[in-house]
Amino acid sequence: MVTELRQELARASAMLDVRRFREASELLARVVAAEPESSRAWCLMARAHLGAGRYADAVTAARRAAALDPADEWPHRLASNALVHLGKFADALRAAWEACKLAPGYWQTHVCVAQAALAAQRFDIATEAASRARGLAPNEPDVHFLSGKVSLASGDLTQAREHQERALALDPAHSGAMNELGRIRLRRHDTAGAIRHFISAARATPDERIYSRNIDVVLLRTVSRTIYLFTLIALILIWVPAVTHLDRLPFVIGLGALALVTAGCFAWMVLRLPREARLMVRRTLRAPRVATALAMAVGGVAVAFGIVAFTPAADLAQVLPVAVVITVAARLAAFAALRAAARRH
Amino acid sequence: MEPEPTVLDSLRKAIDAMPDDVPLRLHLATMLLAAGQRAEAIRQLGAVLQRDPGNAQALSLLREPEPDPPAVADLSGQPPADPAVLTSERAAVPPPGQAIAPGDSADTPGADKADGQSFDWSQAEDELRDVLPAMFVGEGEAAEAASAGIDEADAYDTERPGLTLADVAGMEEVKARLEAAFLAPMRNPDLRRLYGKSLRGGLLLYGPPGCGKTFIARAVAGELGAKFIAVSFADIIDMFVGQSERNIHELFEIARRNAPCVVFLDEVDAIGQKRSQLRHTPMRSAVNQLLLELDDIAGNNEGVFLLAATNHPWDVDSALRRPGRFDRTLLVLPPDAAAREGVFRYHLKDRPVAGIDLAKLSRQTDGYSGADIAHICETAAERALMDSVRRGEPRMIGTPDLEAAIAEVKPSLGSWFDTARNVALFANEGGTYDDLAAYLRKRRLI
Repeated sequence: MVTELRQELARASAMLDVRRFREASELLARVVAAEPESSRAWCLMARAHLGAGRYADAVTAARRAAALDPADEWPHRLASNALVHLGKFADALRAAWEACKLAPGYWQTHVCVAQAALAAQRFDIATEAASRARGLAPNEPDVHFLSGKVSLASGDLTQAREHQERALALDPAHSGAMNELGRIRLRRHDTAGAIRHFISAARATPDERIYSRNIDVVLLRTVSRTIYLFTLIALILIWVPAVTHLDRLPFVIGLGALALVTAGCFAWMVLRLPREARLMVRRTLRAPRVATALAMAVGGVAVAFGIVAFTPAADLAQVLPVAVVITVAARLAAFAALRAAARRH
Repeated sequence: MEPEPTVLDSLRKAIDAMPDDVPLRLHLATMLLAAGQRAEAIRQLGAVLQRDPGNAQALSLLREPEPDPPAVADLSGQPPADPAVLTSERAAVPPPGQAIAPGDSADTPGADKADGQSFDWSQAEDELRDVLPAMFVGEGEAAEAASAGIDEADAYDTERPGLTLADVAGMEEVKARLEAAFLAPMRNPDLRRLYGKSLRGGLLLYGPPGCGKTFIARAVAGELGAKFIAVSFADIIDMFVGQSERNIHELFEIARRNAPCVVFLDEVDAIGQKRSQLRHTPMRSAVNQLLLELDDIAGNNEGVFLLAATNHPWDVDSALRRPGRFDRTLLVLPPDAAAREGVFRYHLKDRPVAGIDLAKLSRQTDGYSGADIAHICETAAERALMDSVRRGEPRMIGTPDLEAAIAEVKPSLGSWFDTARNVALFANEGGTYDDLAAYLRKRRLI
């Protein structure tokens, strides 16, 4: 019976290793029905629920395991992980502490504390726990990966980069570290550099969609910023002739030049991107929502400028607010459309 | 000195946590022998020998004669908590010095041991049989099967598929590529030799789930007139729980003995997953063994043909894709119009249908997998059945039922294509996924 249980658990564990959560859950459901007192079976069940995104069920299974074997740290780590996903950060931190208390010499428990503390925005605790984990497992890439995340959250970009680079040196295929390096670049306003890192991450783990989503979001943000800049300068160009009563021709030329410069800047940024990202830009700009956003922003400015251009100078004071409202409304609508597109991605 | 029961319990727990720790098992076995719990000690020593067959200490402990039963023998292997249990166990043991009747030795456990001179190997084997997994999958069954005159390969469900590629509706492009890359060289050994075409390596079929990869693999075996061994992820896991390396070897041995034989590894991404993703898991050794076997097949190809299928070729260890292993790939896409008609026809052939416009249904199901179409037919049948129940008289399944089912059943391939898009964009190094990228471009997915 014991052997049978052990074999079933080994089978379930192997399924979980290769991310077959559904099959593992089915097997473990049978195991826990037959052997409800097996703490390890409940732990594996919690792991299967976690992998399948059933976080509440994972907490229940982990707590059951903890009740059966109070000296084991694993159920607490599993519970902490699931609680983080459920947004219950204080409970997650408590569970992580419990795991750490039971196995202080085990680096995973400190990583667990750091993760929960990071989610709870307790950066001091997270920093300390990450440091302890590094002391226990200096050659474990995940420890450096998490340390980098903690440093980034604390605003120490240099330290964050060092940790992520160390994680990558230990595991050159660590896509999480590549993604974090992209985030660090983004914080340094290096869009093209960030995208390069996100692309590396997506190349290393193509079935992890968060990386390609990050590229999409950065591209959408860039489009959004370009629209914002264009609208802002267009507003100034509309406003000045109306207020100063100067000849409008230079401002018409100015608006044309602005459109060209904005498009040129965007093209320059796109050309600096790797080929894969350029393909994504093309796809992003073709996406109906993004195309709609661009059309709304440019159309709003064109309509506002048309109103200003064709209104006699004497009436400009009355139509100017209308033109400004149209421009700002178009910009807001474009922004909303882009946000919707980002959410959809 | 007899060890404390709590110490033994702690050791047992430690072994549960680390079943492969040989020194720990030896330590427990020694302590169990000291505590007089010989039965459990033998089990532990057997487990040691299972992991380390030549372990001198384990062999020496096993050969040690059993001491005379103590005045109060505890044969239960558990702390003597319940006096009633202790009494009943004690009653089974003859008192020291009592003669054992000749007939008792066969039936009474410990009868042979009572002389303190010899060790009952057959009893030990019997005991171990319950505790340790069989070395090879179907080992026991294979022995029984052999004695019953059954082919040993039945352990792996060897079959001779009656299917051929002619049974695969549509998918002409896939068939043409299969013919050129795999079947023509196999069927024409003279031409193969003339052109110096090697038979090394296997073919990896990849594509979205439910689009007929397994069906095609069976058809390939049928075309070659070969036996077919399908190995799924679940089979490998079963092999793995025990001694996967030996079992994978055994599988390939059986294929060689049954040549010509197609070995089909289904869901090879799970079997041969990237070792970087299996850093801390024992499945890594299964991948290594698979690589060894593939190299062996490449060097000694006596009519064993390798086919594999996966939905996620990007998760397959790159070592498995090197020349001589699964070095040829074939993309099996969602069924084309002709194939969809064929799938509808197949799933409706045993149902009461009338006036089905297959061409129309086929047009409406562009982008659906074969499994999705099977689900549509099922849903349409359910709809007709419920309508018949309501009306009180049976009616035929018609095109409107199937159209309503199509509206209800959404294509299931969106998630796969999301990942495939990432692969085509970011992970198409060396043009490995050019055919996939071309398909995605054609459908404006990238």
